[in-house]
Order: sequence, then C-alpha cells, then structure tokens
Amino acid sequence: MNVSLFAGAILNGLVTGMLYALMGVGLSLILGLLNIPNFAHGVLYALGAYVMFSGAKAFGFLGGVLAAVAAIAVVGAAIEYLGVRRLSRVHPDYTLLLTFGLSLILTETIILVWGPVGITFQPPALLAGGVDLGVTVYPKYRLAVMLFTAALVLACYLFVTRTRYGAIIRAGIEDKDTAAALGINIRLVFTLTFAAGAGLAGLGGALMVPVRGLLSTMGLDILPFAFVVVVLGGLGSLPGAILAGLLVGVVQSLMTVIWAPGADASVFALMTLGIIARPQGLLGQR
Amino acid sequence: MSRLWSRNEAVLRFVLLLAAIVVLPLLVRPVVASEIWIFAIAAMALNLIFGYTGMLSFGQATFFGLAAYTAGLMMIHWQAPLLAVLAAGTLVGALAAAVLGYVCIQRVGTYFIMLTFGFNQMFFFIAYKWTSVTGGDDGLPGIPRPPLALGPASIRLDSSLRYYVFVAAVFLLAFYAMKRIVDSPLGVIFQSIRENPGRAAAVGYDVKRYKWIAFTIAGGFTGSAGVLYSMMFGIVPLESMSWIISGDIVFMVLIGGIGNLYGPLLGAAAFKWLSEAISVVWERWPLILGVALVLVVLFLRGGLVEAFTRLRDAVGGPRARREPGERVAVGVTAERETGW
Repeated sequence: MNVSLFAGAILNGLVTGMLYALMGVGLSLILGLLNIPNFAHGVLYALGAYVMFSGAKAFGFLGGVLAAVAAIAVVGAAIEYLGVRRLSRVHPDYTLLLTFGLSLILTETIILVWGPVGITFQPPALLAGGVDLGVTVYPKYRLAVMLFTAALVLACYLFVTRTRYGAIIRAGIEDKDTAAALGINIRLVFTLTFAAGAGLAGLGGALMVPVRGLLSTMGLDILPFAFVVVVLGGLGSLPGAILAGLLVGVVQSLMTVIWAPGADASVFALMTLGIIARPQGLLGQR
Repeated sequence: MSRLWSRNEAVLRFVLLLAAIVVLPLLVRPVVASEIWIFAIAAMALNLIFGYTGMLSFGQATFFGLAAYTAGLMMIHWQAPLLAVLAAGTLVGALAAAVLGYVCIQRVGTYFIMLTFGFNQMFFFIAYKWTSVTGGDDGLPGIPRPPLALGPASIRLDSSLRYYVFVAAVFLLAFYAMKRIVDSPLGVIFQSIRENPGRAAAVGYDVKRYKWIAFTIAGGFTGSAGVLYSMMFGIVPLESMSWIISGDIVFMVLIGGIGNLYGPLLGAAAFKWLSEAISVVWERWPLILGVALVLVVLFLRGGLVEAFTRLRDAVGGPRARREPGERVAVGVTAERETGW
C-alpha cells in the first residue's frame, strides 16, 4: 500500500468531485425547474474551457475565466429564451432533443473554430508548482481549484436555501403555476436559472483547462458523469448533487489506482446500485 | 367505403416499400442501401418503445453494440454459421434489454432516459477498456461474412449487392413481425400506456410489465440490426456502442415521425442518405445534423410523415386516415402538457 499514491488519488478525486458537483448543481437546478435533462450541459462546459483559453491570451488567466463565465451564461440564456421557451407546451422529450441538437452544433463549432487537436495550458505563475502536504506533494493550482469550487458550491447551496431569490427558485421547482399566479415572473426565473446553470458549467470548464487541457470531445466525455451525479444525488436536490459529485469523483479516482480498466464503468455500476437501493436518489425527495 | 380506402392505402404503402427496396441500390451504393435497412430495423425498435409505448430510450446502442460484438466474436472464434449468429445476436439483445430494462422501467421520465443513457455509457467504457476481447478503440476486425445455408443450398453473400438482398430480406421479416406486434392487442395496450399510464393501470393492466415486454422486444430487434451491422464492413467499431449511435437512432425516429410504422423507415433512409451525401463533401456534417434536429424540433415535430400529410392536405387530397394503431402527425397530438 502506497499511502502517498492513495492520498494523491483521493485529492484528485476531490478535485474532480467538486467539478462534478459544480456541473451537477447547474444541471439539477435546470432539471428541477424546467424539467429537462440538458444534453447541452457537457458542451457548455467545453465551450467555457475554449473561451477561457482564447480569453486568457488577451486578458490573462482571471480575465479569461470571467470571459468564459459571462459568455457561457449568455449562451445559456439564449438557448432558454430562443429554444426551450418555445417548447414549454409540448412533451418534454422534444426539449431534450433540442438540447441534443445544440450539443452537436456547438461541438462541431468548437472543432471549426479551435481545431480537433488537443491543447495543453499552464496554470498561472502564482499557482504554479506544488505544496508539500506531508503525505504527498500536490499541485498548488489543483488545491486552489478544489477550495474555490467548494466555496462556490456552498455559496450556491446557501443562495438557494437561504435567500429570497432562492425561495423563488424553490417555489418554481415545487409548483410553477402557483408561483406564476402569485406574481412571480416565472419565465424570467427560467431564463436566469438556465443562464446560471450554464455559467457554472462554463466556469467548471474554464477552471479545469490547466488541469485537463483542451479536447474537442471533452464536453461529450463529461456529460454522462454529470447525469450520473444528478441521478445518484436525486433530481432537484442540491446537497444530493454535491454529495454524489464528491462520491463519484473519489470512487472514479481511487478505481484508477486500484484497477484502471474498470474506473469509468464503476461509476455507472455505482449509479445502478444507487438507483436500485434508493430510486429517488441519495438525498432526493421524489 | 372509408375502410376500403384505408385498406387500399395500406396496400399501396407496402407496395411502395417493396419498390423502395428494389430501387434503393440503384440510387445509392449498395453498402449505404444496406445501412439504411439495418438502421431502419433499429429505428423501428425504438419506435415501438418511444412512439408506441411512450418511453424515450437514449441507450439503444447498448443492445446494438452488444449484439454486434457477440456476432463478431462468434464468427471469429467459432466460425459460427450465419443464421445461428443472427439468432444469437437477437437473443443477446433481448436478454440484455430484459435485464437492464427491468431496472430502467422502475423509473419514468427523466430518470428513465438517464438510466438508459447511463447503462449505454457503462457498456461503452467496458468495451473501450476490455481491449483483449473487444479490441477497444481500434474495434473488432476480421469478421467473416459466412454464406447463408438454407438446407442443402448455400448462398454466398460476398458481394455488397448480395449482402444487400440478405439485409433487405431480414428487414422485411422484421417489418412484418413489427406490424403484427403493433396491430395486435398487445400493441394497443402499449399505446394505451403511452396515452395515459395511470388509466391503463386503472383498467387492470400491469403497466410496468408491459413496458418491460416492449423494451425487451425492442432490444431483440435492435440486436438483429447490430448483427447485420457487424458483418457489413467486417469490423465492429467501438462507435457501434456509443451514445452517438443511440442519439442517431432517436433522431431517425424523430425526423421520420414517431408512432407510425413507416416514419422510422423514412427517417433512417433520410438520415443515412444525407449523412453519406454530406460527409463526402464536408467532414463536419454533424453540424448540419444538429441544425436539422433543432429545426425539426422547433417547427416540424411530426417529422417527415407530418410534412407529407400537411402537403397532401394543402393540395386538397383525401384527408389522412388513421389505420388501427397508427397515429399520423404525432407531434400535433403530443401538443399538450403531459407528465412523463
């Protein structure tokens, strides 16, 4: 047993897990409020990464990240306003297919603009190098990303559960019609929530660029894991998405050390077991 | 009178289908023509669970790929005969669908879609990583195309045209079987579940059990399509198990029009023909596919069949009549807020 190896794997798992939680929170809010599994969520993550890459060249690292969040939030708002909204009266399956079509379009757009070849990217100078944690030496940048996303995910949770705006979102998830009848502009809430969820995905993509690099298929690769997180955590449950995100990230990372060929499949096996044992998800109500 | 007309129309459609089978290899390369009928079987299968029973599966490639790998391995390692392989692949598809479907149908709506999708990914990653058996990313090459042994006679299928005839024959059998299923009382139960699962349960039908049956039958059909696919190029590519294929099958059904027998066939033909035509010209053809999908979803939810119906109504032809167990222009009837 190599303690340092396992400590590194667990830390890697927590970094990935926080990313999954970030994706899961956005996906879960969109799913809870608009009742659609957003198949474009993965490609929004990828688009965030690529926008950050181009933005960082012009405005530096922080500027690139901010540009990515803003751009992807706008794209998300546009998807809701121009597409999803028009389908509010038809069967939800059609909305799913719309987001699937958008996913294809955006993936191909990424290849057209940035090319199909993978790109690597160095973390900013301030966060370069490693920190000695006693058990293992770990890259500074990854630690920073882990702490930042943890704080952000916590802030999202507090926003939804403790603020007035969060109460509106929860009311919308509970009962859209009644919320609208009480004078809430539910359409606007839909658009803003979609934009926020997309922005979180874009942020996740941007922050992972120095860790994972850029690949045109990165959106398609992460989407299934984001779905697993939401299903495992419970549809519409934010604490569930956070817990499931961490669980999936750590399991996947540890399996890579123990038995690499089964690392990805184990995540889906975990989901299946979860669904059989707790159909409503780990912390889901429904 | 109207019964007679609708019967004539049904015959006419079938004659048109036969004509299409004959003419298709003259219009496109026989390989593409074969691919069209192979995916038509898979689209027909998804139509049974999505169009007729109301469950959108985003994981049909699981059964397509499992059957394709099964067939490939049987032929490479055991030199198994053609019909045995076809039967085995169909069985594997149905069995896998029975096992996975049992878990999936416990949930409805978004959960169901994500479960089918999740299982698809699980098998994809297993095939990707289990390189000693599946060849991983490189695919499983070296699959022979054994001759068709019918009693003492043995028909070689080595040319792509000969193989096309075999594929078309299997397709027609599958089509006939599917027509019998959707026209049967079982098919009517499926549709009642799509229309209103609560009411179907209230009049005494075990909804979960019938969903499970539909899912299993569809898995078998999809499996047979996978077997035909494995022999076509002599290789099972890893992509045959990917969620992109699952999405393609959903797209074919949608573009053709869900809930009637001919829609998925039109959809498969249009999809495969377009992808062949465009991919030669432009490598980034999924972009056009995505645009088409978005446009269909936003403006033409009934698919090609609805387009035909609208066109016919516009030129003043006879009003579209519904055959038993058939919904024309489902997009219009689906134009209501339904639960999952």
